[in-house]
Amino acid sequence: MINFYSFKNISYLVSLMLIILTVFVIFFKGLNLGIDFKGGLNFEVKTNLTTSQLNQYLNFVDTEREVLIKREVGSDVYSIRIESGDNNPVFIEEIKNIIAQNSNIQILLSEYIEPTFSEELIKNSIYALASSLLVIAAYVWIRFDWQFAASGIFALLHDVFVAIGFMSLFNIEFNLTMIAALLLIAGYSINDTIVLFDRLRTLTSSEENKDNFEINVNKSIKLNLRRTILTSFTTILALLCLVFLAPVNLTEMPIVFIFGVLIGTFSSLFLVLGIVGDLNYEAVLKARDS
Amino acid sequence: MLILKQWRLWVSLLLLIGSYLFIKPNFEKQTQDNKINFGLDIQGGYSYLLELNEEEYLNNLLVKTSQYIENTYSINSNINNGQIVIFKNQNLDALSNIVIQNLGLEVLEKSDTENSYIFSKQSFNKSLSDMTLNAVEIVRSRVDFLGNKELSIQKVGLNKILLEIPGDLDNNVKEVISKTAKLTLHIEKSNIVGSKTFTNEETGEQVRVQEIPNITGDFIQDASLQYNQNEPVVAFSFNKEGSDLFAKMTSENVGSRFAIVLDGSLITAPVIRESITGGSGQISGGFTNETANNLAIILKSGSLPTKIKIIQEKQIGPTLGQEGVEKGVIASVIALIAITLFMILYYKISGFFTVITIVSCLSLLFAMMSLLNTTLTLPGVIGIVLTIGMCVDANVLIFERIRENFKNNIDDPKNHGFNSAYVTILDSNLTTLFAAVFLFAFGFGPIRGFSISLIIGIISSLIVTYIILKLFLNITSIKYLGLQK
Repeated sequence: MINFYSFKNISYLVSLMLIILTVFVIFFKGLNLGIDFKGGLNFEVKTNLTTSQLNQYLNFVDTEREVLIKREVGSDVYSIRIESGDNNPVFIEEIKNIIAQNSNIQILLSEYIEPTFSEELIKNSIYALASSLLVIAAYVWIRFDWQFAASGIFALLHDVFVAIGFMSLFNIEFNLTMIAALLLIAGYSINDTIVLFDRLRTLTSSEENKDNFEINVNKSIKLNLRRTILTSFTTILALLCLVFLAPVNLTEMPIVFIFGVLIGTFSSLFLVLGIVGDLNYEAVLKARDS
Repeated sequence: MLILKQWRLWVSLLLLIGSYLFIKPNFEKQTQDNKINFGLDIQGGYSYLLELNEEEYLNNLLVKTSQYIENTYSINSNINNGQIVIFKNQNLDALSNIVIQNLGLEVLEKSDTENSYIFSKQSFNKSLSDMTLNAVEIVRSRVDFLGNKELSIQKVGLNKILLEIPGDLDNNVKEVISKTAKLTLHIEKSNIVGSKTFTNEETGEQVRVQEIPNITGDFIQDASLQYNQNEPVVAFSFNKEGSDLFAKMTSENVGSRFAIVLDGSLITAPVIRESITGGSGQISGGFTNETANNLAIILKSGSLPTKIKIIQEKQIGPTLGQEGVEKGVIASVIALIAITLFMILYYKISGFFTVITIVSCLSLLFAMMSLLNTTLTLPGVIGIVLTIGMCVDANVLIFERIRENFKNNIDDPKNHGFNSAYVTILDSNLTTLFAAVFLFAFGFGPIRGFSISLIIGIISSLIVTYIILKLFLNITSIKYLGLQK
């Protein structure tokens, strides 16, 4: 039987490295903010032109604005992002006309967001994310001891944060849909964690060898291992279908979520119960007995 | 018959019949209510998010309130920096705290000579929100007049309006929704005091008129596109009050010109040849059919309370959405089949029960979505696929717990296993559920579509696991469950 608990120091190290890596990537590479959070124009176009041809064609537009062209993976669809500037309403119509004039380019989607509104969306998303995370924290706190709550919340923040690093590393656009993906990762992470917590709580309160924390931790993980693997497997299976079959502008969400499932599985197997132990939960149990 | 004594059997049947009844309207053409609507990202279309100007509204409200105080209580007041400053005199007693409160004001500062008030946040927000509701109706009637049928329009936040138009767009929509349409009529005035010059932006024509309008567009009852010697003109008629004002203005000023001003710019300045008592008139000024029709529509619908700004606009071609749905459905079906096969191979009979549970979960989910008139978006489809994941997870947790109990020779392994696993499932699903509720409350756009299907999905999953899966576990002898190993 694998002694999961004995891996905890290595796991801490791995997790610390992931966090440091994320900080570095975010610091040096930054987030690829979509127009939801930055304002500006976004087009999804279908065309048989190459990126450079498209770039050349758009050079006709007399503008100081930054234009970003990106080919969506495995398709003839490109995303064109143009930053916001002066007199946006007139500019939108102009550029729409220019693109529409070329019979080789078909506009699938066009979207414009006023920078003032994207600022509001950032605020909004932070509220949404923060309040959801607080609710999760509160619920775990009410249902379990504080050591569990602290460890669960740490794992959840860890997973969400590293997932943001993943997005930054692979230049995945950060937009409103990704906020939903992040919350989903949080939900998945806490889900996995709670299943383990439930098990550990039952074991430490009723089993004959309740005094040996390490044995109980390993037992909880072992008893849930099959479930953890099965669930991760079926979830990833479903997500892979989405990656290959979702519309081009939505493939990134399942990719990020698959990463989230993997990192969430790592943190629940190797991280959370170790933290509970290091928060001196054993002492709490002993004190309860006497 | 043992099975007939299971209350779960009857509840299951009830759930299935209910689901069938609620899903049915989706396949009937004529009904509008209790259907799942498809979001614009699925069916293609246009969406505009309009923002009314909060600052302008505050100013209007300040002016209105200050005038009301002056007229009603004969107290001099002044507007300064978003505050109403009232100069103290003997009438101040009449302006009791209750009156102040009813006006939505609260004291900011009191001194020997003057009191200053501001609007309380609560009352201003309420007022702003009411104004937006009013504007929603105006925008709705404008777009309605253009002949768009299936549009959806709703208030978002305090001062925003979300307009969604499925399908093709009438090019005039953007034009008619973004005009404030404040129409004013002013009599020509030559001396400088109290006058103002308006300019026609196209022709450059200028006319100096009295600044305070003689009549405003608020009195207009109807307007339409008509032709005068083959030239499109906008014919309008006033209501009773407007007719009287118009008659008075024209009879007193025969021979002078009056300016018709829309949103601060001059449209035309005809000469009054005779007094007009019928309360109707025409505006001509180089219109095309389209511009005249647009003007008629906005005059008929009334002016918006403030300037309006389009802060988000989205245009989704039908191909992207269709492709998305087709691919999404294929993806979901393949995912479903893959999971189904896997579960049956792994858990045998129990795996088959999982399949029934998933299908029931999906039908309950669609039934609830129809009942609540939910809008299904592509992120929502992703939410549904993940709900299936959570449902499978619940099944796996239960099966594994039963298997474990069986191995450890615990009494009644099925019921014990189910009950202890269900506590865990509740804990883990409820956390996600609460999080999704908050995400829904604060989120916008795709986040909402995603969280609503997650919320409904989790609830369905919890219900069907507790009722239908348990029913099958109850009626099947443990020998046949395939969980002995």
